[in-house]
Amino acid sequence: MAQDLTPPRPVAHSVPEIEGQLGKLWARAAVARVEAAKAEAALIEAQAQAAARAAAALDAARATSDAGGHHVAARTSVLNLVVVAGEAAAAERCAVTIAGTAGRHASRSLILSVVGPQGPPGLEARIEGLSLTTPDGRAETGAETIRVAAHGETGQHLASIIVPLLVHDLPVALWWPGDPPFGSHRADRLLPIADRLIVDGSAWSGDGLDLLAQLATAAGARRLVVVDWALLRQARWREALASVYDLPDLRPHLRAVRRIEVEYAAAQPGDPAGQTNVIRPLYHVAWLASRLGMTVVAPLRREEDGRRLATLGQRDHAVEVILRPVVSDLGAGSTVRVEIFSRLRGTELVGKVAAGDRSVEVSICENGAERVRRSYVAPRLTDVDLLGLAIEEGAPDPVADHALAMAGRLLGVDSASRKGADSHKGRSE
Amino acid sequence: MSPPRSPAPPPLARTALQLREAATAARRRGRPDADANPLRQGLRLERVPDPCAFVLFGATGDLAHRKVLPAIYQLWRTNLLPAEFSLVAVARRPYTDAAFAVEVHASLEKYSRVQPIDEGAWTEFAQRISYQQLDFADDVGFDRLGVKLDELDQERGTAGNRLFYLATQPSQVTEIVRQLGRVGLDHEMRGAGWRRLIVEKPFGRDLESARLLNHEVNKVFRESQVYRIDHYLGKETVRNLLVFRFGNGIFEPVWNRSYVDHVQITVAESIGVEGRGAFYEETGASRDILQNHLLQLMTLVAMEPPSSFQADALRDQKLQVLRAIAAPDLDHIRRDVVRGQYGPGWIQAEPQPGYRQEPEVDPESETETFVAGRFTIDDWRWSGIPFYLRAGKRLPKRATEIAIQFKDVPLRLFRETSGDPAPNVLAMRIQPDEGIMLRFAAKVPGLGLDVRTVNMDFAYDTSFVVDSPDAYETLILDALLGDASLFTRADEVEAAWSVVTPIINAWADMNAPSFPNYAAGSWGPEAADELMERDGRRWRKI
Repeated sequence: MAQDLTPPRPVAHSVPEIEGQLGKLWARAAVARVEAAKAEAALIEAQAQAAARAAAALDAARATSDAGGHHVAARTSVLNLVVVAGEAAAAERCAVTIAGTAGRHASRSLILSVVGPQGPPGLEARIEGLSLTTPDGRAETGAETIRVAAHGETGQHLASIIVPLLVHDLPVALWWPGDPPFGSHRADRLLPIADRLIVDGSAWSGDGLDLLAQLATAAGARRLVVVDWALLRQARWREALASVYDLPDLRPHLRAVRRIEVEYAAAQPGDPAGQTNVIRPLYHVAWLASRLGMTVVAPLRREEDGRRLATLGQRDHAVEVILRPVVSDLGAGSTVRVEIFSRLRGTELVGKVAAGDRSVEVSICENGAERVRRSYVAPRLTDVDLLGLAIEEGAPDPVADHALAMAGRLLGVDSASRKGADSHKGRSE
Repeated sequence: MSPPRSPAPPPLARTALQLREAATAARRRGRPDADANPLRQGLRLERVPDPCAFVLFGATGDLAHRKVLPAIYQLWRTNLLPAEFSLVAVARRPYTDAAFAVEVHASLEKYSRVQPIDEGAWTEFAQRISYQQLDFADDVGFDRLGVKLDELDQERGTAGNRLFYLATQPSQVTEIVRQLGRVGLDHEMRGAGWRRLIVEKPFGRDLESARLLNHEVNKVFRESQVYRIDHYLGKETVRNLLVFRFGNGIFEPVWNRSYVDHVQITVAESIGVEGRGAFYEETGASRDILQNHLLQLMTLVAMEPPSSFQADALRDQKLQVLRAIAAPDLDHIRRDVVRGQYGPGWIQAEPQPGYRQEPEVDPESETETFVAGRFTIDDWRWSGIPFYLRAGKRLPKRATEIAIQFKDVPLRLFRETSGDPAPNVLAMRIQPDEGIMLRFAAKVPGLGLDVRTVNMDFAYDTSFVVDSPDAYETLILDALLGDASLFTRADEVEAAWSVVTPIINAWADMNAPSFPNYAAGSWGPEAADELMERDGRRWRKI
């Protein structure tokens, strides 16, 4: 689907050089298309089999020639994708993921890495033009990937490289793999450029909760649209949990939830070091709490046995929250099971969703008797899938926004505060 | 960060009864939105249908193998069907489950839009296919089908939910529906699952037969259980037409008689009858295209904004348009409706036979393969604005397009310096090369003031390289989810026949034009061009 149009190793050492390379690249591509179209037309004419196709191909060739050979094939929409990859190896991994998005490719991708921060300043850029075609090869559109390695002090001024290279008037998605340094000079300069911040909370170091609190604060303060892969990964889980309450007679139980318990995979029983990333389990709770209009009574705290507990309020009753580490074959931090316990007018209901091999299994027990059991196909999303979803997301997702805000509140953060990303002091752990 | 949004308000009551019911429900529940599942908010795009059995009648037929089965497989492959999904193929020929699955696999290799077949997904899908041999007149066979579906509920967890898809000859619809009713497969009981019926067009062959068919179907299934499928409505660009009209603010102010000069809708096919001569002899372009595709596209262009995107809100507005189309009288039909039949000709450098030379076609046939007409809509928005519709077979190319031509500028300021710029046109291409084009005037670079018409073109292919789903995938998924927005309601069908039936009847009483009256590979009979020229207009070159 994606064809590299770039001649060997075009390297630029400044922003104007990058712009020049881009212009040359697409001019060459346009000329190549004209030549290809002419060749096709000649072949068709020679074969005298399809006069109409020959004429159409010639028309296309002439139309492109009339444009003076400087036509830049670019997508008519979509966005700029800026990747703050950190070091060079991470940049390569990101580039591979972006290339895999093929048809979902951003119009222009800028992959930034920092090299030799103590060395002399400078930058080195490689520009790739991609021809993206539909599966049947009919239509073509152009996209670019610009890999910029910033040397020395230049690495401190990435925003100054990015801004002139953005395609005008298109939204900017900022993909920050790894741990984003919220509150740093670099983040303060880059976040205002972005319309959308793409992160993967489940890949953050440690339990990830400090960064999640900072993310919730930053999102609230900057009105930033956040796409967290950790939350995207749970889409089928949310679908499964919602399905429990599609049965009309069970729906009133959503107003009578007494306990939300999430089991997550840890390498050791009880996760004694408390270093397993718990972003995904916490998002389950945050999503449910935000959808069900709950308030935070007592923020999340860690017990000696490794469980993390919180208390939510729903109407006039408390909702117990338990995040429980369990030993599992699943990757550390993966959700193993979500259980919602409710009690209404003497009826106790337990809705459970558990991870299967390629599915999630839903069961509903009413007063101890199983009432419904079903499964949802839930293949694991790859990085390419996740990036594709993140860059195609056209508008802010209020459900995700509310889940993030609730996650912040569960961590003791008032995410609506405008004090900035540095103000997080409220974690009760 | 804004606080959590309060749940969406309930739909407004439209009748006194609904008002009373809403008030009672609110008192009983203590909150007006208690019926909504708050966990569903924001999940719409990911929603997977309920567990269900998909019962495909006519499973060995061409439509099933070309369209329906590939669409179901594709939905399965992309995880849009529940794990507790079961496909029950029903037809007259004898097959074992395994033998039928082999046939399905062969069809997928031929017709699936994504190749090669994902063998992992296929293996899982094939496990969910079973075959039931059944003569549609056989009571015992339907009894067995009922038992089989009950067994599937137990074995496969299909939960009593059943979708019956009639990919059969139109003449068999009534019999199948009657049999389904006889064995109680239409019954929806509380907690026992839903029952839905998908019916393929044609929905009758005139107003009377459509009413009769609707009557027979509605004797068994409630209208809310019936999904009449017109695959045109599932096409991306048709759905995008709704987004384009009602998701953008800038077009609505000019979308009316004050700014629009006229509208052209073309459904052109380059193919002939493709081995379906006998079917086409009974149908013709008016029944095959005008009554459904063309009029449906016309309603989407002309309808008022619906109050919501709910199925009935949308269909109510479409119905208003159909009812406002000026009823064609004999004079109107003689003057403004043209029929044609293709003779031999050439398309894409290949010789083509005439319609009367096609297999299964009467050598003296008077069936029309082309229809064009000028219609008006008697409402405040469109009064006096002509809608020109045309459809035909063996035209030079396959193209479906809606073009809205706007009125000319009131004063031609640039007349002295260049030729008149052409009027603005907004054209929506349905197929192929789905997209939207806006034509406007621009100054030619240079010292003079030359004005040239240019096209600003939005093409799906070059903006969203991701595959568009096939229309059948869209519509089948919608039916499984219970969303009837893109399906045609009984009253819509009858209103459309009210427009077309007088034409068909009038033609039956008139002498047919001297057929054939256009050559394969041309844009139809000269009378179609004259129809436009009489109004000082011409068909778009597409």
